Amino acid sequence: MKRAIGALLAAVALTGAAHAQAPADGMSLLGRIYQATEKLSYSGIFVYQQGDRVETSRISRIYGPAGELEKIEVLDGPRREILRTRDTIKCYMPESQTIKVERRVDQRAFPAMLPDKFAELVQHYSVSLAEPARIAGYDCESVVLTPRDELRYGYKLWADSVTGMLLRARTFNARGETIDQFSFTQLAIGNVPRERLKPLRSARNWRVEHAPVSPANLAGSGWNLGAELPGFRKIFELSRRLGESRLVNQVVYSDGLAAVSVFIEPLAGRSEAVRPGVSNLGAVNMYTREVANHLVTVVGEAPAASLQRMGNTVEYRRPQ
Amino acid sequence: MTTQKISELADGELDGHDAAAAYSALKSGGEPLEAWRRYHLISDAMRDTRLLSDGFAQRLAARLAEEPTVLAPKALIAPARSLPWYVTRVAAGIAAVSFVGFATMSMLDQGGKHRVAQTPKAAAPAVAIVAPAIVPTSESAVDYMQAHQGYSPRNSLQGHVDTRQVQTVSGRIARQP
Repeated sequence: MKRAIGALLAAVALTGAAHAQAPADGMSLLGRIYQATEKLSYSGIFVYQQGDRVETSRISRIYGPAGELEKIEVLDGPRREILRTRDTIKCYMPESQTIKVERRVDQRAFPAMLPDKFAELVQHYSVSLAEPARIAGYDCESVVLTPRDELRYGYKLWADSVTGMLLRARTFNARGETIDQFSFTQLAIGNVPRERLKPLRSARNWRVEHAPVSPANLAGSGWNLGAELPGFRKIFELSRRLGESRLVNQVVYSDGLAAVSVFIEPLAGRSEAVRPGVSNLGAVNMYTREVANHLVTVVGEAPAASLQRMGNTVEYRRPQ
Repeated sequence: MTTQKISELADGELDGHDAAAAYSALKSGGEPLEAWRRYHLISDAMRDTRLLSDGFAQRLAARLAEEPTVLAPKALIAPARSLPWYVTRVAAGIAAVSFVGFATMSMLDQGGKHRVAQTPKAAAPAVAIVAPAIVPTSESAVDYMQAHQGYSPRNSLQGHVDTRQVQTVSGRIARQP
C-alpha cells in the first residue's frame, strides 16, 4: 500500500514537472543569465539604442576573490567614465573635471540586470523561450518576459548558449514596439587585464561631488503613497538634495526589472510653474501633479498610465 | 475573429467550434487578445477587483495547451464558472468604445477615496483620460531623471539617458550631469 502511494506521489510529481516544463526552460535560462553576469569577467563594446539615438560604450568587468570591479566608458559624445565597485559608483566627467560619487545601491544594470529574486518575476511576467540568434559572434538562446498586465513593459533577452552571458536586451511596449535596446557588438569573456579598469590618471585633482542621500520616513511626516502598483515593492525611501539646493523626498519602487521613483518636493521657492501631466524622456516617462503645496513627480521606465496611477494615490494628511 | 465573438467567449456563451476558433484567435495575439484583456480589465474595474488573479494567463495557456482542438462542453463550462471575474455583456458593450472603457477603468481605479486625476481641461477627452496632457519636459525633469537613474536596474549611471538631448521648456539645453 505504502509503495502504491509512493508511486502515485511520484507520478503526480512527474506530471507536475512535465506541466511546468515550458516556463521552467525560460526560467532556467534566466537563472543562467543571472549566474553569468554575476560570476564572469568580460570586456566588450555595447550599443544602446533608443528612438533614433545610438550610444556606444566600452565595458570591462573583473570578478574575483577581491570582489567585483566594473568600468564603463561612454564612447560617443562627451567623455564619461563610470567605475563601479560593490559599494560605490564614481562617475568621471573630464569636461567639468568632476567626479560624482554615489553610494552604490543594491541594483544591477545591463548586462547584469536581472534581480537575484528573479523567481518572483513569474508573478508579473510570463516567461517563455524564443528563437535562437547569433549576436556578436555568439550563438544565443533567447527568452521573452511578457508582462501579465499593462503596468509594465516587456523584455526580450538573448544570452550566449554556452556561458549564459547576456548579449542583448530589448524593452517593448504593449503593442510590441521597441522602447530601447542594449546589444553587445563585441565581447570577450574571460581574463581582463587589471590596468584596463584603472580610473583616469588625470583625475587626481578633480572636484569630487558626493551625492548627499539620507534615509527618510514619508509616512511619519504625513505622506501616504496609497496603494502601490501590483508587483512593485518599495526598495528605498530617502531624502536628497536635487539640483543646486532643493531638498526632496524620493521613494523608489521596483518589480525587479523596472524602477519607478516618486519624488515629493515643496512648491515654495520654486521658480518654475507646475505643469501637471505626462512627459516623455526617451525610455523614461514622467508624471507630475500638485498635492498639498508639494510637487509630486513620478519617474520610471514604465508605461505613462502606470506612473499616473501611482502618482494619483499620493495623499497628504497633517500628522497628529 | 470579431471582437463580438471574443466578448461572447468572455461571457462563456460560446461552445464547440466557435469557442475553439475564438481561443485560437486569442492565441495569435493582436486585436482579439487586446479585446480579451480589455473586457477583463473593465469587468475587474466594475467589480472593483484590481487585477486578474495571479497566474491567470499561465492557467489559461495551460488549458489551451491541454485542449488543442475541440473543447468538450463540460470543460468549457467549468472555466467560465470558476472565473471569479465573470464578465457581463454590459461591460463588453462598454468596451466597444475602448476609450470609454478606459474612462470607466481609471475612474473606478480611484476607488472614490483617492483624488481624481488632475486632468487639464484643454486636452482632448480621449487623450486626457488615457494619459493626461502631454506636457513639455520641465527644467527640473533632468534633476529628477538623474536622481532616478541611480536607482534604476536598467539605466544606472551609465549615461544612457543622454540629458544633453533633453530640450527643456525654456528651450535651453539641459546642463550636463
